[in-house]
Amino acid sequence: MTKLSTLAEAVASIPSGAHVALSGFAITRCNMAFAREVIRQGIRRLTVSQCVGAMDADMLAGAGAVERIIYGGGSLDRFGRLNCVNRGIEEGTLVAEEYSSLSLAFRYLAGALGLPFIPIRSLRGSDILKRLQELAPAEIGYVDDPFTGDNWLVLKPLIPDVAVVQVQVADEGGNAWIMGPRWDNEEQVKASKRTIVITEHLVPTEVIRREPERTLIPGFRVSHVVHLPFAAHPTSVYRAYDYDAEHIRHYAEATKTPEGFQKYLDKYVYGVQDHWGYLELVGGLKHLNNLIADPILGY
Amino acid sequence: MTNYTPSEIMITSSARALAGERVVFVGVGLPNIACNLAQRTVAPDLELVYESGVFGARPARLPLSIGDPTLISRATLACPMPDLFMYYLQGGRIEVAFLGVAQIDRFGNINTTVIGDYQRPKVRLPGSGGACEIAIHAKKVFIITHLARRTFVEQLHFCTSPGHLSGQPGERAAWDMPGTGPQLVVTDKAIFHFDQETGEMVLFSIHPGVTVEEVQAEVSWPLKIAAELQITEPPTDEELRIIREELDPGGMYL
Repeated sequence: MTKLSTLAEAVASIPSGAHVALSGFAITRCNMAFAREVIRQGIRRLTVSQCVGAMDADMLAGAGAVERIIYGGGSLDRFGRLNCVNRGIEEGTLVAEEYSSLSLAFRYLAGALGLPFIPIRSLRGSDILKRLQELAPAEIGYVDDPFTGDNWLVLKPLIPDVAVVQVQVADEGGNAWIMGPRWDNEEQVKASKRTIVITEHLVPTEVIRREPERTLIPGFRVSHVVHLPFAAHPTSVYRAYDYDAEHIRHYAEATKTPEGFQKYLDKYVYGVQDHWGYLELVGGLKHLNNLIADPILGY
Repeated sequence: MTNYTPSEIMITSSARALAGERVVFVGVGLPNIACNLAQRTVAPDLELVYESGVFGARPARLPLSIGDPTLISRATLACPMPDLFMYYLQGGRIEVAFLGVAQIDRFGNINTTVIGDYQRPKVRLPGSGGACEIAIHAKKVFIITHLARRTFVEQLHFCTSPGHLSGQPGERAAWDMPGTGPQLVVTDKAIFHFDQETGEMVLFSIHPGVTVEEVQAEVSWPLKIAAELQITEPPTDEELRIIREELDPGGMYL
């Protein structure tokens, strides 16, 4: 069954107020084309989650599309901070439910396993836990270990409405391969009610069938497959393209002020019709060709 | 002897501390350079593990992000991040982890979340990522940071990653923290250890040309000083060559 959709169709399936798990990690495999389309469609009040806060969440937050971010902290790594997320928290327009990588991954895992809670050894002794107890007391609790009597911190499962995952290879049924590091993406997909796959390459199912051990996302969990090259630009996708350092630097600078970010949005999001217009605007084939991954290095 | 910078002796001192170690959890930036130097010098079998889910990395360029694709090219294993934390970190298989800090207190508790008030901070930092669980589980935690009074503080603004907590004996065990906590702090001016009894940071070694007074001036609490204070061995020409020519030729971090 084909699940091939346009980006606009896939994005339109997400109602305002939904909880979206995003596959990005700092400046790698971020759902950037997705974020731009969410903003163009005016979807609001989203909850977004990811273990390491990334550029996709930052852009969405900056555009006012996000009400709550559930994350383990994050940054643009060497390129700077998540200026939009940070500004939202500081201005009180964005609620930040801040965990650590493992504790958030465990919440996805509990969701994926269908368990009522998951015990965790991390967080204890930290102010991360103290703050969660104030901000999100319903998400954490304590139980006694029936075997030893020890008291354990436990976390509530996290079940996003939809996981949006940037992959390298998928078929039209949504069977997908993620190459290279994949951080919390599998747990996000397994925990979520459904998944939108955004793929660099669309392949016949026969290609998937020849190496089924590479499939990390089974098609039956997927509602939409969007085939869109350079959908993660300016972030990197291993074995597809490297990050566009110049553009990320430009973004990091632009997001330092609300006015700067508005100009960025006006140009790169509202100023173009769709993803193809965006790709032309950032430099077109000539520029993008320089980012295409070396087949040996993968970037 | 070749001239070297304070940052370079910080890197060489960190790398040497990894002699004989097998598995190290690495962050980008200074720890990445230190661990890669260790692999080329004192610890050729060192397994570099990165949070994004990479084992045995052999980065061909300086990674600018933990998710940088250069960490996966020529690595020996890529796995989901939760696998890495669940099976290897929680499983007690990570011998050393390097953490960076924005603030550290005398007991090695670490802040990487905010400077100032949480809601209205002066600076909002990258937060925990995996740092909190690493601080709790890794057998040993090494810290690498520039020595500065704003970093070595009396009172953290936020405790992201617990160290020796309030310094009470048995406190980490009472929280059921499997790791031994912070064991080493390497800076550009001096090296610190932790008192095994009290969990308090102790000045162990000063770099050549640095005085105890200069170190104390950059630390907000009255420093304990080791009975036999050492002078740090300066970098060798070969270490400096590797750093300058191979690890950070563009001077991005140093």
